[in-house]
Amino acid sequence: MIFTSFNFLLLLPLVVVLYHIVPLRGRSLYLLVVSYAFYWIWSPGAAAVLAAVTSLTFYAGKVVGDPTAERRGRVVFLYAIGLLILYLAIFKIAAATSLGRTVGIALPLGLSYYTFKLMSYIIDIYWGKIQPATNGIDFAVAIAFFPQLTAGPIQRPADFLPQVPPPRTMVWQGLSRMVWGLAKKMLIADNLAPTVNYVYAHIGGSQVGGLHGAALLAGFYLFPLQLYADFSALTDIALGMGMMFGIQGPENFNRPFTASSISDFWSRWHMSLTSWLADYVFTPLRMTTRSLGTLGLVLSLSLNMVAIGIWHGLTWGYLAFGLVNAAYFVADALTARNRAKFFKTRPNLTRLGNWMGWLLTFHLVLIGLVFFRAHTVSDATWLLSYALRGLAHAKADVSHLLAATGAKVLLVGLAGYAALELAERLRPDQWWLSFELTAPTWLRLSLQFVTGAFIAVAWVLLTIRSGNHASPFLYQVF
Amino acid sequence: MQSAGNAEIMETLTGVFREIFDSPGLVLHDAMTATDVENWDSLNHIDLIVAIEKKFKVKFTTREVASLKTVGELAGLIQQKLVAKP
Repeated sequence: MIFTSFNFLLLLPLVVVLYHIVPLRGRSLYLLVVSYAFYWIWSPGAAAVLAAVTSLTFYAGKVVGDPTAERRGRVVFLYAIGLLILYLAIFKIAAATSLGRTVGIALPLGLSYYTFKLMSYIIDIYWGKIQPATNGIDFAVAIAFFPQLTAGPIQRPADFLPQVPPPRTMVWQGLSRMVWGLAKKMLIADNLAPTVNYVYAHIGGSQVGGLHGAALLAGFYLFPLQLYADFSALTDIALGMGMMFGIQGPENFNRPFTASSISDFWSRWHMSLTSWLADYVFTPLRMTTRSLGTLGLVLSLSLNMVAIGIWHGLTWGYLAFGLVNAAYFVADALTARNRAKFFKTRPNLTRLGNWMGWLLTFHLVLIGLVFFRAHTVSDATWLLSYALRGLAHAKADVSHLLAATGAKVLLVGLAGYAALELAERLRPDQWWLSFELTAPTWLRLSLQFVTGAFIAVAWVLLTIRSGNHASPFLYQVF
Repeated sequence: MQSAGNAEIMETLTGVFREIFDSPGLVLHDAMTATDVENWDSLNHIDLIVAIEKKFKVKFTTREVASLKTVGELAGLIQQKLVAKP
């Protein structure tokens, strides 16, 4: 299920129109049928397994939340969490080793996302934060809701369940968010991709056509922009699609590359995953190790960041990504108080400090992402150690790179990215909202008509473009 | 009697909060949540909990800490623990 594929974009309007005909009490069932139908088309086996783990978790939740049988609830809680972790681990291990190919186990689409939803549900009940769901259909929709199923955001059932069945939808708002996401993906991410892919495919000194200096630097700086445009586009599409069915999902990004410290970055990047880990991994670990003082903090932070890394897959690259970020985060946390004190007594340095903090954070994050993107850890270290060598030949290196990947494509991608940063800074959508509240009706209606027509045309154009284009999203493989 | 105990708890809590979040003018109220206080994130949260445990000589479980939503609930939990203490 690729959201930018021609068939999907053609089918979606029909699914939305039919949804508005269905009476309110049938909406959950309708969403469940549609969600499972999409998943079934991808893999009937995976859909059956999803239905099975969902049912088991639903019944386990009932036992865990039963106030008359606390002892039994605790045992079932431990079993349920253990089994869900095992379930996730088996597929992840199979995918990372030759075992998967031998036995013929494929990683189910969206596994990492829906298992985390199921786990948060059981833990929230055990912690007394929510009551068990009363309606099995609503619960199954919370887990399998198709806009979020393959790539998040990870909307916890505690947040989703109070919204079903959704009495009202936000079709135009959702559609414009979706078109924004589709444009980001097809105009920015996919135009940055060829250059990034070329660089990461030509790392290594002995290799024929191996790249040097400035060309490596181009890959170093471009991949994070591509990843952000790609992944945030996926979130825009998922959230926009959700709105069309009346579901408000959690935001995943908050201008991450403006962060002025590592902890600031991680509160702005893939927020639905990082807040999940903060609540269900970091907090319990930190509570358990709190008597150990600083050592407890270091351990909890490190394990949390490693968990973020290997959540993407059990590879050395993701582990290295987690470890590098763990080191950053520990350094950040251990110096936070002293830094705050330092700048408090020197208010004239605050501006400079923020600026330096941004520059340093940006580059540290980029270094971490090299391990995320490179095929192997040695490729990553090779890129990092050779990117600043031979910069005297920068011009030749860059023209060699552009000759191979196409300068025009890259320019379109970069111009698009600049527009994206500008739009996020100026927020034209918020001007629009305040304008809608104050403008006279005739002006509002005519502008709404023009915007509607523009979005509809953009939709058709993007659908046509997707006909020969559907490139998968980077984050749809987890 | 109970409400007097609560006011006392809130006063002591205010001191702890001001120290942990380095914010001398911070005023607590029952409905306050983490989003209302600058720097109150998941990192500082446990520092806060540890400081409260020391100050009131009580112990919290992960389950209790995780399900707290407001300052009022935190004060209520502390009161509960103090009453239950031998």
